[in-house]
Amino acid sequence: MSRVVALALAGGLILGWGIGKLPWEIRMTKEQRLATVGFPGPTAVAVREKLGQGLVLAALGGFRGLAANALMLQAHGAWEEKQWVRVRSALELATLLQPRVALFWDLASWHLAWNAAVAAERYEGLESETRRRIEARKWVEAGRELLERGTRAVPEKALLFQRLGDLYWQRLSDYQAAAVCYRAALTKGDVPPYLERFVGYALDKAGDKKAALAYFQELRRTMGENPDPARQPEVVEREMQRLTKELRTSPNGKRP
Amino acid sequence: MRESWRRIRAVAENTFLEAVRQKVFAVLLVFALVLLGGANYFAEFSFQEQFKFLKDLGYATISLTGLLVGLLGAAQLIPAEIERRTILTALCRPLRRWEFVVGKYLGLVALLAVMLAIMGAVFWAVLRWKEAQLIGLEGGEAGVVQAIQAESRDPRLWQAFALMGAKLFVVCGLAVFFSTLATSTTFVVAMTLLVYLIGHLQSVAREQWLESGEKAAWFIQLFLAAVALLVPDFNLYSLIDEIVAGNVVPWRATLEVLAYSVAYVAVLLAAAACLFEERDL
Repeated sequence: MSRVVALALAGGLILGWGIGKLPWEIRMTKEQRLATVGFPGPTAVAVREKLGQGLVLAALGGFRGLAANALMLQAHGAWEEKQWVRVRSALELATLLQPRVALFWDLASWHLAWNAAVAAERYEGLESETRRRIEARKWVEAGRELLERGTRAVPEKALLFQRLGDLYWQRLSDYQAAAVCYRAALTKGDVPPYLERFVGYALDKAGDKKAALAYFQELRRTMGENPDPARQPEVVEREMQRLTKELRTSPNGKRP
Repeated sequence: MRESWRRIRAVAENTFLEAVRQKVFAVLLVFALVLLGGANYFAEFSFQEQFKFLKDLGYATISLTGLLVGLLGAAQLIPAEIERRTILTALCRPLRRWEFVVGKYLGLVALLAVMLAIMGAVFWAVLRWKEAQLIGLEGGEAGVVQAIQAESRDPRLWQAFALMGAKLFVVCGLAVFFSTLATSTTFVVAMTLLVYLIGHLQSVAREQWLESGEKAAWFIQLFLAAVALLVPDFNLYSLIDEIVAGNVVPWRATLEVLAYSVAYVAVLLAAAACLFEERDL
């Protein structure tokens, strides 16, 4: 075998394998995306649109997790120093690098919607309370927007839907929206047992007692004759009794 | 066939022993072990976050050390043997050149496997150490203990470990391939590292090439096609990130990536053997 033949043979092998492996790689990539992100693959337009982001993600390669963790630590340090803009930018980057880590979205939204917002509410540099509230609301909205994105990035886990529900409840007082989020969380496999009651609580808090009662009744019915004690059927029954009693005194079912 | 295997094994054993005697690998191993032990000191977060940090740092340490071992080891393989002229003594025996190449690769892989096993064992011990620490801190409530143990004893970590090993074995294959072409160790290290980095962009280049149609200039298309055809897709191994994030990754997907790695290594070694067959020494 001459040198030229050897080179041609090696080149042919590599090229032939390159052509052969292509459909395999495409299929594996699609299947991996389908299993992890929920869609089979981006279109040409989507690729172009996401190229910047994709390049960042790909370039970091095997050390993406490490970079994201470093950003989370940076955010933690900035949080201790109450530098909220730095906290936000580090968290945004960390979630961009590892969008499939539910914990990051959770921590990021907590920092923005709770810590930064409360700090804004108490900021003494602004005399006007209205201004402080507007500032705080901006941080809450930033946290909500992050969680909305998080639920799209990790749609199979209950955690972020639960947190979004908590945010609507505790930070925005939008109890109907909270009930919708808790309902969405209940469709996931890893939901904690206590959360099933939160839909009813949220509906009650929203003033829709009839809907809350109907929900608790349906929940009790699904528990069956011998319910799992972890689901606390006695609490559900207590809520049913309370709501029935309250509906008797206010029959239209709406909070006055 | 049996004779051939015996000769390959002899080369592999020799390569392994030669590599073990080099101080650089011992230093790398110590460096990795210190990093792995140090990974335990993220204590200001929830236990899920602490485990996430620990696993990420653990995998990154093992991966980086493995990459360096693969690069330095392969660089020492053929170019250094040619430089020292020791290759002539080896090849004047009844040893075919392809057996020499395969033996060198297997020796390197054995070194890497031993180092991965040591680092894996230390990583496992650190995870258990963290588990004991957290159970002590968080209290002995059954639910919490169960959640902590689920993080530290997650069987999916084996999947991640297998994927990481496969990725490093492909990198070794690339390094062996370049070492049959090269005359200097710097060339082998630089080329392998370059392909390793481009490999993480391969899927982007491939999709851009296949979906760009006639809009892109011909030279851009040619470049994208070359990357798509000639470079391995290292993004396929990013399933490791999914596992560390606590997401479910089916074994079927893992096994398919492992099969892809085996096929890639086989092709690289075959091409390396062809190139080495006619090389002037």
